[in-house]
Amino acid sequence: MSITAETAKAHAHDPAVLCCRAEAGITIEPANLEDPAIFDDLVDSGLLNLDGCLTIEEVLGAKLTKTCDSLCPLTNDVLDGVKAPTTPAEEKAEEEAPAEEAAPAAPVATAATVAGGTLKIHIGEGKDINLEIPVGALGATGEAVAEVPAAAVAATATAEAPVEETKVVGTLTRRHIKITEVKRGPETKIEGTTLYIREGIEAEVIANQELVKDFHLEIITPDQYHTYSETIMDVQPIATKEGDAILGEGATRVLDGVVMMLTGTDEGGVQIGEFGSSEGYLDENIMWGRPGCPDKGEIFIKGNIVVQEKTNMERRGPMAAHTAFDIITQEIREVMKELDDSFIVEDEELKSIRRPGKKKVVIVKEIMGQGAMHDNFILPVEPVGILGARANVDLGNVPVCVSPLEVLDGCIHALTCIGPASKEMSRHYWREPLVLEALHDEEVDLCGVVFVGSPQINAEKYYVSRRVGHTVEMMDVDGAFVTTEGFGNNHIDFASHIEQIGMRGIPVVGLSFCAVQGALVVGNKYMQYMVDNNKSESGIENEVLGCNTLCQEEGIRALAMLKAAMAGEEVKAAEKKWNPNVKSTNVELIEAACGKKIELVDNEQSLPMSQKRKEKYD
Amino acid sequence: MDNERLHYGDKIIYMEGVIVDVDDCSISIDLKGRLGFFKAPKRMFICDTEPKVGQEVGWNMSFPEQLGPEVNEKYVSNIEKERRKQQEMQARLDANKED
Repeated sequence: MSITAETAKAHAHDPAVLCCRAEAGITIEPANLEDPAIFDDLVDSGLLNLDGCLTIEEVLGAKLTKTCDSLCPLTNDVLDGVKAPTTPAEEKAEEEAPAEEAAPAAPVATAATVAGGTLKIHIGEGKDINLEIPVGALGATGEAVAEVPAAAVAATATAEAPVEETKVVGTLTRRHIKITEVKRGPETKIEGTTLYIREGIEAEVIANQELVKDFHLEIITPDQYHTYSETIMDVQPIATKEGDAILGEGATRVLDGVVMMLTGTDEGGVQIGEFGSSEGYLDENIMWGRPGCPDKGEIFIKGNIVVQEKTNMERRGPMAAHTAFDIITQEIREVMKELDDSFIVEDEELKSIRRPGKKKVVIVKEIMGQGAMHDNFILPVEPVGILGARANVDLGNVPVCVSPLEVLDGCIHALTCIGPASKEMSRHYWREPLVLEALHDEEVDLCGVVFVGSPQINAEKYYVSRRVGHTVEMMDVDGAFVTTEGFGNNHIDFASHIEQIGMRGIPVVGLSFCAVQGALVVGNKYMQYMVDNNKSESGIENEVLGCNTLCQEEGIRALAMLKAAMAGEEVKAAEKKWNPNVKSTNVELIEAACGKKIELVDNEQSLPMSQKRKEKYD
Repeated sequence: MDNERLHYGDKIIYMEGVIVDVDDCSISIDLKGRLGFFKAPKRMFICDTEPKVGQEVGWNMSFPEQLGPEVNEKYVSNIEKERRKQQEMQARLDANKED
């Protein structure tokens, strides 16, 4: 297929290959050339050899001296009047850009520091002083590079950039209650650091929902981690609002050291949940410490729910399971509300801070909305509760704007049961790393979080992504993040969200699990800034719970990349095939630019090697 | 890369099938020409309109190839546990129905 003049310009330094047969004597125009995007595949399959091939900018306007067939690489042998090449702007090499170019250490005679966004340069005495500060450097790296001749000593100069004050728009206090033991007892209560769960509560869980036919509760302590378990449907924090406080504001009490874990089957013993599963021994199938997963050492209150025969694949099955399981959590919440302050071991204050004058950014989180367990309850009354929440699918998957504190206060009760390795469980939102990173970053102004569902049908996907585009446009942001969990048809709307935001001239960074198995099914020209959530060794869905979900390290990379994009820095294009080295190079660049070490999380290699993984994957 | 373990991985064939079942989270497809059946999560299925029984679908695929003669005991044990549990639960279900 021939290309347009615009494409030819974009690919000026790419090889020039004829798209169709051309007669001797013609002048080469863009219409004679093939789109370079397809060359990788042709070279791989041996159909094309680009040795000695000239670039597009060299051949345009040259005269063809010999009649050539289609897909013939243009070389000096067949052309007359070839232009001289210019220097390529950027070598195609990396998937993600070097998020920031490492700031070279300049021989500065004076101190150039950035404190709270203020650039202060003080020069005692000097002469012939030339200050060169790249416009992007302030916003992009937080490190200003001032090139001052080393011998400068004479004048006095003080430059101060105007700073606008930050504004705290909301606070949320997490009040931690420590639990070291969970037991069954005659009533649900907390004594010291022991949580008792009422014996016989199972009957109420079963009676709560018509579809729930059976229920078993297990307490898993760390010494029982090597226990066989059905597929994990969700991991949830146990938290409640204090007094009349509403979600996202005031105080929230949370139990430390214990989490709720839901598993389930139908009456015929078939797993609730999609396909494939993370069943097996808990310690071999959980990536500890991921935002959505349990941390090592925590106690699990694990409930196994049995729903009516054949409702495991219907929407009402998993909904009933989650609703019934919340009976137990709610009873614990009621007990927590009654506790006096002596049980609180730590108060943690989370602040939603707006930073006027800084680059305004928004986080768009795509959540599942195809139906059944591809659903989420949005904004319950209690953190990760059920009551008061609306199912994302019932809302039509349209964008819902929430505050960062609402996200961190458990405004999402996740029913999603996509592949276990890329699944964002309820606890993930409670500890959402990108929201936390953006909220704490003094160089950006996080204005909010937009949740948008991923419907099944393409027409609906485009319906919701256009809403996302308009929503983000109204916000007048300087940059946006779009994240998604899992892979599959949700990548169609993921790409469409990025396009809708990008076409409005807003730089947008996309975060998703891609690597080998989750390679994007579609793309567009706005998808230049991508961060891969993969952490598995081989780049695949490795059946380990939470392994390939968004972690702090992705949050840091995405923020650095968005800052670079907003500052107008070039981001290198992707390699054709997944290459994990791109990530390490970017991490090193960020470390060099920011002068701090980024701790990378472990992957499945740190778990006791299960036989299945040994033979199957590694 | 794992796909280097395949000997015939590049033999990609265009396939067609018919949707025989749709539920809230999956679609089931009979492969045309009595070549089998599969069930896949809805999120792995791309459609412009609502998927319905009787619609025809197409895709490219290759042949599943054995990766080696070894049997992974872990999977055998999981399958066995699953089968036993389903058998027990089914028996209990049937008994309840008779009551």
